[in-house]
Amino acid sequence: MASAALRYTGVSVGYQGVPVLTGVDLDLRAGQRLVLAGPNGAGKSTLIKSMLGLTQLLGGTATVLDRPPARARGLAGYVPQTGTLDADFPVSVRQVVMMGRYRELGWWRPARAADRDAVDRALDRVGLADRARHRFGALSGGQRQRVLLARALAGEPRLLLLDEPFNGVDAVSQEAIVRVLREVSAAGTALVISTHDLAVARELADLICLINGRQWAAGPVGETLTAETLRRAYGGAAIEVADGRLVVVEP
Amino acid sequence: MIEPFTVPFLGRALAELVLLAVICGPISVFVLARGLSFVADALTHTVFPGVVLGVVAGGLDGLFAGALVAGLVTAVLLTVLTRGARLSDDAATAVVLTAMFSIGVVLVSRRSSYTADLTSFLFGRLLTVTPRHLAETAVLVVVILVGLLVAVRALLFRSFDPAGAAAAGLRIGRLDLWLNVLLALVVVAAVRAVGTILVLALLIIPAAAARMVTDRLVVMALLGTVLVVVAGYAGLLLSWTASVRYGLASTSGSSVVLLLVLSYLILIPVRLWRGRTRR
Repeated sequence: MASAALRYTGVSVGYQGVPVLTGVDLDLRAGQRLVLAGPNGAGKSTLIKSMLGLTQLLGGTATVLDRPPARARGLAGYVPQTGTLDADFPVSVRQVVMMGRYRELGWWRPARAADRDAVDRALDRVGLADRARHRFGALSGGQRQRVLLARALAGEPRLLLLDEPFNGVDAVSQEAIVRVLREVSAAGTALVISTHDLAVARELADLICLINGRQWAAGPVGETLTAETLRRAYGGAAIEVADGRLVVVEP
Repeated sequence: MIEPFTVPFLGRALAELVLLAVICGPISVFVLARGLSFVADALTHTVFPGVVLGVVAGGLDGLFAGALVAGLVTAVLLTVLTRGARLSDDAATAVVLTAMFSIGVVLVSRRSSYTADLTSFLFGRLLTVTPRHLAETAVLVVVILVGLLVAVRALLFRSFDPAGAAAAGLRIGRLDLWLNVLLALVVVAAVRAVGTILVLALLIIPAAAARMVTDRLVVMALLGTVLVVVAGYAGLLLSWTASVRYGLASTSGSSVVLLLVLSYLILIPVRLWRGRTRR
């Protein structure tokens, strides 16, 4: 039997006892792509961080890779938004990707050939092998996001968590990221991707989880992204257009 | 140019500065990367009451122990206070800084040699470094360098991307404590020679100046060390020449720091020029 990448039952998460998001039920298996969709401030980042035990579990039960979330740190790959990082930080692309190997290396063990190979492969995969020696901050926003993806891939995770990976990302980088995400999920890695972009959600998701303070709907894309669930999650701002696709206008 | 340094006390002063340079280059890189300038400032101030207490209890030899205890206590206190996220880093740091500094002033004002003591605590006695001081500094330098080396990668990750580092399973609190303790040890190592005020310059300026010319952390650390050595040599020479040749009294510690500041100012145009040509 395939083990669960993620199993959430009636989960509430928040900070310092105050819930940000309630009623989350998730079941994610190897190779599946789960998209967390919802407006800004819906609790998407909080939910992703809860999968590593970095936000407080206030109710329900949660297991990640068949263990308590905090024990999954380092086993699951985490890709932060590039915008949250200091672009002026004096660090090379290669150094950033090598951080993906720190779980094996610990505080002080020197990098070995296997680590360097993993870094090379990951950089190659996101199409930035020729930028290894560049300063991280000198790259475009989209390229930086791809570097952060490469960093997570270098750790060879069974579960990959991406927080708004398409925010401020150019079309070329978005395409590259989508391609890589399809490849790694085909190879058996489970993915959790948060986005407020419903077009991307539709393109990428096997499963979708629509949240805004609570879980409004979860399941296969077709059943989940309906005008009604969107209207509820987005607070009446969803409108339907002629070809059956939904567009959300933030109120 | 070499000759003044054959005078034993001047040679020892230079040796002390070279030893300090070896740690100040690398540690200042982390002060810069983590934005710990204010924490460094707090450490230099909180070591002050420790220095005073040490001297009251054990004379000048007690200074070292007093600084060590105060530095370590502050490192732990600052880590705990800023970790709860109840207080912002700045507010917590300011509270600790002012409280400890006031205690130091109260303590030192009870001594009869108030002014002289205060001056030497605040600005150091670079020219009275003894061989024993040198040995103590050397031991601390080795301890700090090893401490930095074992954690350099984790510290770098944590500085660059705290959320990512936590997600990768690094213990952020432990790393912060580690760096704060190392920072405290640097202050302790440097405080006797350059005083609690001027030591701040050694913790901040080397990397800040080196940052003007390089984006590479290793180069920043090395260049920071070189800058301290050069400023140390030139500063000692300057204050020696000023007082021996021209009879102008100039304290050596402040000469060194002023030259370090000067190197920073000189390198600013390099930064501007690089900013324009950067790809």
